[in-house]
Amino acid sequence: MHLKLFVLSASSVVLWLAPLTALDKRLDIHKALQGVSLTAAIACAVSAGNIARELFEQGEIELIKKRAITADVVDEISTSAYISQQQRQQEAELILTSPGVDVEESRKVLEAIYSNDLQDSASPNEHPDYHIYLSVCKSREAGKSTTWIVENILKMGGRKFSDGKVKLQTLLNQFEEEGK
Amino acid sequence: MRAVYLGNYFVAGCIAFSLLGWVASLHPITFRAVLCLLAAQAIGWGLSWLLDFSLSNLLKISVVDLQALLIGGLAMLLIGLGVFLCT
Repeated sequence: MHLKLFVLSASSVVLWLAPLTALDKRLDIHKALQGVSLTAAIACAVSAGNIARELFEQGEIELIKKRAITADVVDEISTSAYISQQQRQQEAELILTSPGVDVEESRKVLEAIYSNDLQDSASPNEHPDYHIYLSVCKSREAGKSTTWIVENILKMGGRKFSDGKVKLQTLLNQFEEEGK
Repeated sequence: MRAVYLGNYFVAGCIAFSLLGWVASLHPITFRAVLCLLAAQAIGWGLSWLLDFSLSNLLKISVVDLQALLIGGLAMLLIGLGVFLCT
């Protein structure tokens, strides 16, 4: 496209100037050639102008797209940072305000959550069961029974209940060991 | 790229005025016709300068753009006819 544009631009200038300087205006054939050449030069210049305008508009659209993508990314990052801060604050408030829980135990749980968060931020591969563990912790602090946790959080009620109980124990062992 | 496309349209305008000169050189009648055309253009150009604000509203372009177009048109005429007459 660029090559075509430059060829058309150059040929329009050549077709404009060359016949006027090289050919004799007194000869009829030369005069006719000049007319044809000038007409062709106009056609070349207008075509080149149209191509250049098209390229310019495409460039403008690309620029706008790039700006929009950058703004989206910035917005996404700031939103996720805000949400994660709010989430941590809520977790901390829930743990500290839950009744019947020892302050020292709460401090340990908070420490475990924050240290896990730091590890998670260092590695993007988050453990898939970690969210379930957090929900289990919250439910236990809220005074929910093991049966309720197995049925509502692990979604393993009925015939799967015994498997769910084992899974809950495994989950607790796994993350509590990691917390220590 | 904006400069390239504006430059190409400018060159097209210059060549158009050279072609007008070439048409004028064909016969005395065409010469008079081209002269009339140029006179009409000169009147339109002067009126455009006088009525630039209302004309810019009518064409929905800024006054600066309209003035740039008028100056560009005059430059095209001078260059186009100048090249034709000097060669």
